[in-house]
Amino acid sequence: MNPVTAEDALQPPALETCDVGLACELPADSGSDGRIWIPMGVSLRIRIANPAHRARLLAAIFDMEPDPDLRLVLLGAEVDALSAKERIALRARLAYLAPTGGLLSNLDAWENIILPLGCHQPQRLPGAGAEVRALINELGGAQELLLAKLPEEMTPLERKITGFVRILLEAPELVLVENFAAGLDSAERTRLSYFANTFHARHPRGTFVQLEDVQGG
Amino acid sequence: MAMIRAYRDLEGCMQLFGHVLRRAAVLKLPPVAEQLTRQIYFTGASATAGFVTRGAFIGTLIIVYVIEVLEADAELAVKILLWVVLREAGPLLAALLVLQRSGTAIATELALMQITGEIASLRRMRVDPCDYLVVPRVVGVALSTAVLTFYVQVIAVGGGMLLSALVVNATLDELAHSFFLLASPMDIVYSLLKSLLFGVSIAVISCYHGLHPPGISINAIPKAAISAVTQSILVVMLLNVVFAYLVFGVLFFGLVTAEL
Repeated sequence: MNPVTAEDALQPPALETCDVGLACELPADSGSDGRIWIPMGVSLRIRIANPAHRARLLAAIFDMEPDPDLRLVLLGAEVDALSAKERIALRARLAYLAPTGGLLSNLDAWENIILPLGCHQPQRLPGAGAEVRALINELGGAQELLLAKLPEEMTPLERKITGFVRILLEAPELVLVENFAAGLDSAERTRLSYFANTFHARHPRGTFVQLEDVQGG
Repeated sequence: MAMIRAYRDLEGCMQLFGHVLRRAAVLKLPPVAEQLTRQIYFTGASATAGFVTRGAFIGTLIIVYVIEVLEADAELAVKILLWVVLREAGPLLAALLVLQRSGTAIATELALMQITGEIASLRRMRVDPCDYLVVPRVVGVALSTAVLTFYVQVIAVGGGMLLSALVVNATLDELAHSFFLLASPMDIVYSLLKSLLFGVSIAVISCYHGLHPPGISINAIPKAAISAVTQSILVVMLLNVVFAYLVFGVLFFGLVTAEL
């Protein structure tokens, strides 16, 4: 993982697309420093105070909603210039971890984890068990206890671990984690580095972005 | 305004039904197949005991009332069993019981998922909520309704025949003999098709209202369930009349006869 300083991220020379993990320019009232520029292969935290702008950025990235005021570059590609088919292909390389893990409440942890894999790559399901257990161990979860739990029985950290294992199984190239600190105590917040390290161990060229509001820690 | 809303609901339900037809192949995917199994278990298997009891009560009640009021003989009792219980009351009763149990559950569950952001989570996972939630529910409810209709018919007709044998001047053997003489495979095909259609309608309408709750507060959940139930009842009744008219040329129990 290449360490990137805040200066690298916030004062890029231009919005170049080459080797860019995520780049965009936000409106002046977004509560951020305006321009986001994150190269591939790094782990970086960005802050956007304005919730409307956070939602807008997330919608532009993950829902691929056209936003004429938001120039967006993802994994080296200018999103506006892509065809619908290319956008779908690009979207498959991105992943999002919601503050609550984004789990379905009527599925247990195992079912939540394999849901997208079962829908997108069902041929990989037979071998997924060992990979899931290894990932939970790496992220510091108690796998046997966790896998049978429903989301309402999980701690906030367990929900994030479950959501993140689900993400890692699909091998995305860019992961955006929103408000990791939400619901966690100060000891648990340090686990974020496990998440970033586990991701980069599998995808050295992957981009790990932590999106926070002002209070995020 | 109400007309516009009704038209929008109808259009939305038709689009959802079209999606189910187009995307039925997703049932092969393991998570979707799991949803289908759960839906069949919930709507079909776990509801059987209640269905059987209610089916037996209602079948028996129909026969008792008709025999008492019309002073029916064996032939009329069998005709009533065939026409009312097998063709009409069986599928209708099964549909109403499915609606009462599964239609409300589907609308409530999906509305809650919509309000709590779980539907959005599915989209963020690149899982189409209609593929994952709607297709297995529609197929599961349709199949379960057909099977439950068969249960209700067997129990209601069987119960009705047993009771008729006690009340009218005929043995159970004679009643059964005349019943099988009058009944045709068409009756079974007719009620099976009708119950499949009822199941599809109930599931599509319930899914549509669940996915489109009238707000983002918790109050929207019961409202979605109420809309699903009222519209489903309306559509099921309408389909029943249209089906009877098209297949048998008889509308409103013989008051209007169509030319076939």
